[in-house]
Amino acid sequence: MIAVINYHAGNIASITNALRKLKVDFVVTDDPKKIKQADKIIFPGVGRAGAAMRELKKRKLNKILPKIKVPFLGICLGMQLLFDYSEEDNTNCLKIIPGAVKKFTDEVKIPHLGWNKVEIKKSSLLWKNITTNDYFYFIHSFYCAPKNKVVIASTNYGGQFAAAVQKNNFYGVQFHPEKSSKTGLKLLRNFCNL
Amino acid sequence: MIIIPAIDILNGQCVRLFQGDYNKSITYNNNPLKTAKRFVQEGALSLHIIDLDGAKTGQPVNMDTIIKIAKNINIPVQVGGGIRNYQIAANYLEQGVKKIILGTVVINNQTMIKKLISKFGTERIIVAIDTDKGKLVTNGWQVINSISIKTILKKLKQTGVTTLLVTDKQKDGTLNGPNLTLIKTILKQKFNIIAAGGVANNKDLKNLKKIGCLGAVVGKALYENKITLSNNLTKRVIPCLDINNGRVVKGIKFKNLQDAGDPVALAKKYNKDGADELVFLDISATVQKRKTQIELAKRVAKEINIPFTIGGGIKTLGDIRELLLAGADKIALNTAAVKNPKIISQAAKQFGSQCIVISLDAKRKNNSWEVYTNSGTKATGLNAIVFTKKMAKLGAGEILVNSLDRDGTKSGYDIKLLQAIGSAVNLPIIASSGAGKKEDFLTAIEKGQADAILAASLFHSGELSIKKLKKYLQNNNINIRL
Repeated sequence: MIAVINYHAGNIASITNALRKLKVDFVVTDDPKKIKQADKIIFPGVGRAGAAMRELKKRKLNKILPKIKVPFLGICLGMQLLFDYSEEDNTNCLKIIPGAVKKFTDEVKIPHLGWNKVEIKKSSLLWKNITTNDYFYFIHSFYCAPKNKVVIASTNYGGQFAAAVQKNNFYGVQFHPEKSSKTGLKLLRNFCNL
Repeated sequence: MIIIPAIDILNGQCVRLFQGDYNKSITYNNNPLKTAKRFVQEGALSLHIIDLDGAKTGQPVNMDTIIKIAKNINIPVQVGGGIRNYQIAANYLEQGVKKIILGTVVINNQTMIKKLISKFGTERIIVAIDTDKGKLVTNGWQVINSISIKTILKKLKQTGVTTLLVTDKQKDGTLNGPNLTLIKTILKQKFNIIAAGGVANNKDLKNLKKIGCLGAVVGKALYENKITLSNNLTKRVIPCLDINNGRVVKGIKFKNLQDAGDPVALAKKYNKDGADELVFLDISATVQKRKTQIELAKRVAKEINIPFTIGGGIKTLGDIRELLLAGADKIALNTAAVKNPKIISQAAKQFGSQCIVISLDAKRKNNSWEVYTNSGTKATGLNAIVFTKKMAKLGAGEILVNSLDRDGTKSGYDIKLLQAIGSAVNLPIIASSGAGKKEDFLTAIEKGQADAILAASLFHSGELSIKKLKKYLQNNNINIRL
């Protein structure tokens, strides 16, 4: 059973609709018990860092999530929250992956919005049947700057930034696979098959 | 950090000088516009153009060429060389150039800089700090000044300058790497820095990024393919579904509505055809004081997995929350944004700027445009440019630009309106209203600087298919997801 973490910050219908399409079993929950029992976890990302961390803390999920041992996928804000710190609302995050989340500088239009290519940097089971020429949908004003070599794909927007990261069982994608048409579903399928 | 390709124009040609020596120039191309377009195609997000003749003689020589470039490409352009009085600077800034670079005037005309900053904003003014062996050089790098760099920086700070372009003459055109020590010293004074001169490879870029530069101007290394650009963010093609009483409708200027089908069926069809996003505007909503349909959002979200925006009659944070929970990715606000601007900052704070779209209904009035609300029926007296700037400041994430003059006329998008909005804010812009043929979309992207292009009836009627349009745009060197 996949647990989709509900932190009451915005749209999670998109991810649940996508999982329904893939015909996988899932539960939407903010219950620490259910999250601990799940064999995979999806941490969707909509909303803002400050509000999201507050919601997680309310349910003590900030303590529980770093200890998860099963495959864990953070999407967009869900990926950003895996890092130490975010410039958005000056937020201390989950500190699972070393590094900071920074705002794009106004040399480019903010947010980075639309379909962009990801350049695969490291092989990963997430990339099965996906190539560097495939497009994913992005919508974000902040990006992750990891300290260690966790980047498994990068995207160029006024310079390279981390489009996807992996540290042990923790995966993070800056784009929205649940909104990225067929390619996005492929990636979610790959995660579900881990 | 952004890579900014440099185009230096001497006698109408694209050249690179060696250490600023006009006698040691290499000509790379005799068509600056073509070069600019090539950089755009390769993925440049901004361009750096220098009028070398102007820098040397003290007045613009290649101004027409440069303005032509700025008007014909859809990325911001920064221009320097020979900008020594207010009028010339203002001319550039009013004719499509995003930022100007001031060099020589820095020494003897801080008043002019102050005036420019107060008129155009400090973000549009860049000051060039060009050095030669630790001394400030001006007048096309031909004159060495005795004034110390420290003193100048202090003065600039007081004047309100925030961004500097730092170049070491000794490094320029050499591919020997930038002068990191110089840049680091200046960075300590807390300026935004765009570095230039000597950038040769990715390692140089990395170093500049590491020390905290905002951008790097790259010339020779790009011309000689030692550094390559790659920006693959595509322009988005968006069918718009105007909804009235739960059905898709089409009409001219929001009037004479005709039925155009079931929204979910159409959404599925467009998704299949390769639409990048969808927009649903409940045009009946505001007029009839009826809430936008949550059910529609739910149904659409179930059927398609590309992003979609819903607008029409959305008034409260509660409305926004409900729609987002139902599966909408973005919420378009029009009347509510005018009546209660606070909702923009509140929504941005709660849900993030990325999901807040301002649907601007603008109508030409004298030399500018006026904002309309209530499905285009009510004039507000607000200036569209001022209003859009305000919305951006409050936290809007995107602007959907509707022209009431062009809506349903098939006479092309209002390019001037798009340009005005595009240069007023640093947000993605969706062009809407007036598309009649595929060329109109290309013009909106190339000249109107739109990030996304939206149309309704043209797609609904089957006159133009999304696939065909996307193929056409790609053939015209527009970055498109096929």
